[in-house]
Amino acid sequence: MSEAPILEVERVTKTFGGLVAVNDVSVSIPRGMIFAVIGPNGAGKTTFFNLLTGIYKPDQGRILFDGEEITGKDPAWIAARGMARTFQNIRLFGSMTAVENVMVARHVHTKTSYADALLHTPRYHREEKKALERSMELLEYMQLGHRAHELAKNLPYGEQRRLEIARALALEPKLLLLDEPAAGMNPQETEDLQRRIVGIRDDLGVTILLIEHDMQLVMSISERIAVLDYGSKILEGTPEEVQNDPRVIEAYLGRGAAEGAS
Amino acid sequence: MRKLRENPLLLSAVIAIVALVASFWLLNNPRSTLPFLLTLGALLAALLQPIPRWLKVLIGGAILFLVIPAAGFKNSFLFELGIQTGIYAAMALGLNVVVGLAGLLDLGYAAFFAVGAYTWAIFGSPQANEFMPWKIFPLPGEYFYLFMLVAVVVAAITGVVIGSPALRLKGDYLAIVTLGLGEVVRVLANNLDQPINFTNGPQGITPIQRPPIDWFIALLDRFGLHLSRAEAYPLFFYLLVLVIIGIVTLVNVRLDRSRFGRAWIAIREDETAARAMGIPLFPTKLIAFATGASFSGAMGALFAAKQLYVSPESFTLIQSIMILVMVILGGMGSIPGAILGAATVTILNVDLLKSASDYLNDLRNAGFVLDLGFFKYNFANLPNQLEPAKYERMVFGLIMILMMIYRPEGIIPERRHVLEMKKEEA
Amino acid sequence: MLEILIQLLPSVLLEGLILGFVYAMIALGYTMVYGVLELINFAHSEIFMAGAVAGAETFILLKGAIANPFLLLALAILIGGAVAAIVAILVERLAYRPLRKRGTTNRLVPLITAIGVSFFLQDLVRLIEGLWHNAFYRRYPSFAVFEATYNLPNWIGVLTIALTVWLGFWVLAYFGDWLIRLFAKKPRATGRTLSLVAAGLTLVFLFLYRHVVFADLGMTIQMKSILVIVVSLAMLYGLNWLVHKTKLGIAIRAVAQDAQTASLMGIDPDVIVSRTFLIGGFLGGVAGVLFGLLYTLVHPYVGFIPGIKAFTAAVLGGIGNITGAAVGGLVLGMLEMLGGTYLTFLTNGAMGTEYKDILAFMILIFILLFRPQGIIGQQLGEKV
Repeated sequence: MSEAPILEVERVTKTFGGLVAVNDVSVSIPRGMIFAVIGPNGAGKTTFFNLLTGIYKPDQGRILFDGEEITGKDPAWIAARGMARTFQNIRLFGSMTAVENVMVARHVHTKTSYADALLHTPRYHREEKKALERSMELLEYMQLGHRAHELAKNLPYGEQRRLEIARALALEPKLLLLDEPAAGMNPQETEDLQRRIVGIRDDLGVTILLIEHDMQLVMSISERIAVLDYGSKILEGTPEEVQNDPRVIEAYLGRGAAEGAS
Repeated sequence: MRKLRENPLLLSAVIAIVALVASFWLLNNPRSTLPFLLTLGALLAALLQPIPRWLKVLIGGAILFLVIPAAGFKNSFLFELGIQTGIYAAMALGLNVVVGLAGLLDLGYAAFFAVGAYTWAIFGSPQANEFMPWKIFPLPGEYFYLFMLVAVVVAAITGVVIGSPALRLKGDYLAIVTLGLGEVVRVLANNLDQPINFTNGPQGITPIQRPPIDWFIALLDRFGLHLSRAEAYPLFFYLLVLVIIGIVTLVNVRLDRSRFGRAWIAIREDETAARAMGIPLFPTKLIAFATGASFSGAMGALFAAKQLYVSPESFTLIQSIMILVMVILGGMGSIPGAILGAATVTILNVDLLKSASDYLNDLRNAGFVLDLGFFKYNFANLPNQLEPAKYERMVFGLIMILMMIYRPEGIIPERRHVLEMKKEEA
Repeated sequence: MLEILIQLLPSVLLEGLILGFVYAMIALGYTMVYGVLELINFAHSEIFMAGAVAGAETFILLKGAIANPFLLLALAILIGGAVAAIVAILVERLAYRPLRKRGTTNRLVPLITAIGVSFFLQDLVRLIEGLWHNAFYRRYPSFAVFEATYNLPNWIGVLTIALTVWLGFWVLAYFGDWLIRLFAKKPRATGRTLSLVAAGLTLVFLFLYRHVVFADLGMTIQMKSILVIVVSLAMLYGLNWLVHKTKLGIAIRAVAQDAQTASLMGIDPDVIVSRTFLIGGFLGGVAGVLFGLLYTLVHPYVGFIPGIKAFTAAVLGGIGNITGAAVGGLVLGMLEMLGGTYLTFLTNGAMGTEYKDILAFMILIFILLFRPQGIIGQQLGEKV
């Protein structure tokens, strides 16, 4: 695939009061890659995601999504253009059922107008059916079909995480941002998740951008990794390169550890 | 109780019997509060409990269209009560879209009611002659129906105008800004008699035309019911209100089950997540706001035609809060809840509190002495400031506090219909 | 016409300042509670009212026993403030705390509760007054010594006019500069340049209208207004000392910034919240007594409109910011007086006094849309 990169981040900076949360970060992600962003807590990874999805506006720099400038645009607009995400602290719509959660994300792709909804026109019925079918498909894909009519807040933790991903996929995204998808999972669940993420990339052609602390997961499936520390990108490379770089070890464990390792 | 629920046959029988008993009691004592409440209770039980649909329609229809009108002929206050309840129910359903579904706290809802009322009041009375060039006003009563639609549009536009600044703000600020803008509308109604007399200021506008009902009286004649105009109007408005509630409920249900309803609930649950899923926040909120406003506007026009008189007094903060209390009490986001809340609060306000006032007055006039041994009180000394009817704020406030602490989801919590819908399909 | 407006200006601004002090004290209650809880305490307007009514009762009850009006006033202030403080603490303990303990993320619930409390308190006071006195309108007795009017030296008026005109010209110069920069490429004029330009224009203005400005402006002030200013300044000074120089003050500021971390440092947020309500309530109560002193008539519904205006003031100054609340109160008071007086004047009474109240709402909406952090406040963002 020799097309333009799906995401180009050029020298993006974000400051809150006196604190520089993201400092002059640039990244270029080709289509179809599984790309990970790692770094110690507070390194600015989630802030980085929030900049990409439009929740924050960068103080400096540009972001191009699929060749289009999206810097500082409204999150809903960006989502409609094909960038979906999950959240570090699960943000499902608790009092709606699983299938409804997914159907919410079909909003952009459901062409019912206000009049259609009021008058129950054939278009309304058609679009509702389509939305429901597609949502059920996605639930099945994430092995949640049997939970379709459960309230989201009643689902166990692991299923909630899967639901969030199913919901994000309902946007038909070109790029999927996963914020610590493996948090709180046991090794078995993590392995399932691993396969799923790769599956999403392979089956659906979605580029994956991943924040994760679970190194085993990151090293297994990522093709390229960027390391953030105190808001700056200190390294970008293949898993092998990142794993052995003393700067990365230092960032996570402190200077002494790095010297001990090399 | 649970035993009853699990046995639909028994439940149906119980409800049917209660409905019959209550109806007969009411028809024989049309002025009594207790049989009326029991009849209403039977109606609600019939509509909300899991009994066969044909029975719901039968009992509901009978009570709404036969029993209450029949009792109403003997006690026209019942029609009044029914109409008031209906108007508030439709408004509660409107506010339910804004507060219950989309989670936007609107404290100035009475403003849209005012806008709708004044829309018909101005053109359906000589008022419009004050500023319009041709002296053709008041418009004849038939125009009322058209103006209900006009009121819907005008109220929706007002909703967009008020919503455009207000909806960009966070929850707390939205509440206070809508409160402020509601007050602005009231002040405008009170003061727009200068320099051009639009609203006739604090004096209000009267007389207002109402739709002619000769056709209705003729229709009733055919069925053997001979009523004078004065007797027929309450019945007419009562039935009209029922029809409108039906329409409003239908609109509500349809929107709820569409992508709009889902988007609104998503916004209510978690704005950030909703945006991340592609829902454009501001336009979606604005649609909810304008929808709610339009219901209120329609009922405003009806109110004007029924009352024949409007003044800024009818559109104060208390009205807005009252409707909010209805939605909270009934259940935020729940359609039957909104109707239940409206019925409860209206009856509380119009009937119960007033009855309590009358009761206390009787005690005072009779010089009744309460002697509990350790505590003695002569009701003749009861200060006449103490009239329960005037303490609606306390009642509303208490309801709000208690509901929020003990049952924030309301009496009839919102249930996700898709659940039922899909279970039927499965 | 302009001459009359100039002549009125100092008096109007003075009245506005006095009113502004009352608003400032109420606004402090709103802003402090918002600082620690991020909740708009809708019921604060009724806490203000409770103080006003308690003050009235104190005056009425003790009028026979105590001859010295100043002593009476002092007692009324203490009792009014205390009653309001108690009400505030009760409200927090009984209505808000159970919800906080539940930990609901739904923003509507605490808000609706606050509104419910507000309404409940209005009629509760009405009930109490109704049972006690069979009336719910209470009047503050008037005292000759409070009503006494004093003449103010003219130079105060002149100075006021000069400063206001200078400020006006400064704003005009700012816009003029902005306009010019739309068409011609030039660097932005510095503050100093604008100040000098404004000063020059002011001098010209003063010269042209010297017959009005330097004539007898007839500025007067009543003793009760002086008392309001003195008491308010004392309260503000006391609050400032409390917030910056005592442990409690530091604790309050800590909890306002980050309740979780504060609790890790050994501060019990619940206690601090209670104390915050106490202080805010006391100030609101004192404001109520001062209000009663100025306007005589109090009743259970007297809190509603001043409450909203004071909230506007708090937002104007920057919600959560104590200095901001004080500044906002003063500014709003003056703007309201200016707007109210001049509007009625300019439209020959067509726009009546009710429009004065809308003015505050308009300012609120304007601020929230264009500068939500207020004059002084900092930006509060949401952590995602």
